[in-house]
Amino acid sequence: MSDASAPSVSDGRRPRVAFFDFTGCEGDQLQVINLEDRLLDLVEVVEVVSFREAMTEHGDDYEIAFVEGGVATAHDERRLTRIRENADIVVALGSCAAFAGINALRNDQEFETVKERVYGEDSDSITSYPIARPIDDVIEVDYEIPGCPIDREEFVGAVTALVNGAEPSIPNYPVCVECKFEENTCAFERGETCLGPITRGGCSATCVSAGTHCWGCRGMVDDPNEGAYTDVLEDHGLTTEEIIEEYQLYWNWQRDSRAVADGGNR
Amino acid sequence: MKVIDRSDLDALIEELIASDPRDVVGVQEDGEQYVFDHLESADELTLDYDLTALSPKKYVMPQRETLLTYDRTDDEYEMRAEADPTGHIVVGVHPYDLAAIEHLDKIFIDTLQDEPYRRKRENSVLIGVTMQDVADNCFAASMGTATVDSGYDLMVTDLGDTFAVDIGTFEGDRLLESTKTRNATAEEIERVAEIEADLKDGFDRELAFPPAELPTLLEASYDDMDFWEDYAEQCLSCGTCNVVCPTCFCFSVDMVRDLDGDSGRQERRWDGCLLEDFATVAQGENFREEVAQRHRHRFMRKGWYIYERYGDVACVGCGRCTRHCVADVADPCEVYNELREAQHA
Repeated sequence: MSDASAPSVSDGRRPRVAFFDFTGCEGDQLQVINLEDRLLDLVEVVEVVSFREAMTEHGDDYEIAFVEGGVATAHDERRLTRIRENADIVVALGSCAAFAGINALRNDQEFETVKERVYGEDSDSITSYPIARPIDDVIEVDYEIPGCPIDREEFVGAVTALVNGAEPSIPNYPVCVECKFEENTCAFERGETCLGPITRGGCSATCVSAGTHCWGCRGMVDDPNEGAYTDVLEDHGLTTEEIIEEYQLYWNWQRDSRAVADGGNR
Repeated sequence: MKVIDRSDLDALIEELIASDPRDVVGVQEDGEQYVFDHLESADELTLDYDLTALSPKKYVMPQRETLLTYDRTDDEYEMRAEADPTGHIVVGVHPYDLAAIEHLDKIFIDTLQDEPYRRKRENSVLIGVTMQDVADNCFAASMGTATVDSGYDLMVTDLGDTFAVDIGTFEGDRLLESTKTRNATAEEIERVAEIEADLKDGFDRELAFPPAELPTLLEASYDDMDFWEDYAEQCLSCGTCNVVCPTCFCFSVDMVRDLDGDSGRQERRWDGCLLEDFATVAQGENFREEVAQRHRHRFMRKGWYIYERYGDVACVGCGRCTRHCVADVADPCEVYNELREAQHA
């Protein structure tokens, strides 16, 4: 964390805020727009100077930048660096920005094949990097709001903290905690597998509550016992390949980073 | 002891649903599990269950609860206590869960004088039921909680066409006022005693020694880190064992500000000692950073620490932690038996 600070509402001036999208589906910004009525409360406390998905004006004078999407090209890197220079506070919005998310699915695949599969004949004109990265691999990031998509209340909570001069915080307990609050039947008991035990909570276990299982979209908790969890999945009959597949959807970048920190074992 | 016809017990519950201002909740089926939930009618009630997902603790200490709200006008802060004092009529509580609530009463009412808990608790009615089915992981008989003599307003035992009803409190007695009951015969009283006695054979799991020995055993095992680390290697540290426990009472308090910063609320939510951040204090210091320390802490607390502070062993043997642990490392019966074996080897 940097010593980031923004003018707060108590200064009598609304902090200026900008939203930016990189490689991603823009679903997190859509969550912000989906705040609907509460958007009016939000613009009482911040001044939005740039938000391509919601307005035509654009300004480069802002204190807080919310950045959605991951980094895929050299152009992305240059643009991100400029945002970092302009902003006092940079917040990664959503899982692609925070830890490369679904984008990193391709990191283990042969890049030419990936390009061809997605772009067909036009694949030669694609100048993307072979690896998808989160924004903190390029610039310093002050705070993260993970999720695919983000939780609207968590976003409002982060804005509330920032405009009041406090630090936004996200939970470090796993999805299981809130899942048990809800008294859901455990996905494992239903014969499914679930990434809830080592996925960061704060989503009210929304997917399990809706009858499916946790896909890991909020990333891993800070210190997951991945080895023990792999054993659990094996006990439930998953093969090594299936386990890797479970982990890959959202966690490819996170697991690689952890592996580097652990000396290469993953 | 009174006896009530099955149909009259149903009618009593219907009457409570219709006329009592409190929510009537009871055990019902929910997919492949049982839960305590709002009763629309007495038909939904399932009294021959083995174990519910959460215990009825949630009615006296909810998962999340607003304690107070605040507002700033000029330079004054106005705070208002907001905790909901409303009680519930809870139907179908097993003896081990009644024991757990009695234990929580000691902590929240007698010791902490916690108003949000006390008001909900004192406004609640607990109708217990003698166990008819025992969950695979339950070892309540070993912990002395398969049957209880107190902690309920009414305690019912299924006798087929009728229920035996033991009156625990004046409030329980009053509940029966408008209902047709008669005094139990000697045979019926004998039958209840038999059902309770036979229950002991229904338990697959057994603590191999009297629970009164737990404090001494655990005190002696504190430094056996090899033992705790061995377990912790498989522990996901997910906190599930804490969350489903009927006697875990730890909570965190959060101040939740409104956007303008001038108003907001204070909330508490269940927290658990297995979670990594539970023991993190100011400056980021975590005094139980290792999973093994947290794992050990939970067992120490259930069998020793709480005994030192409140005079109770805090495990009632319900088996919820065992049932819900996906890594299969949470079973107190197994852990305590292994410790005991290691010590006597």
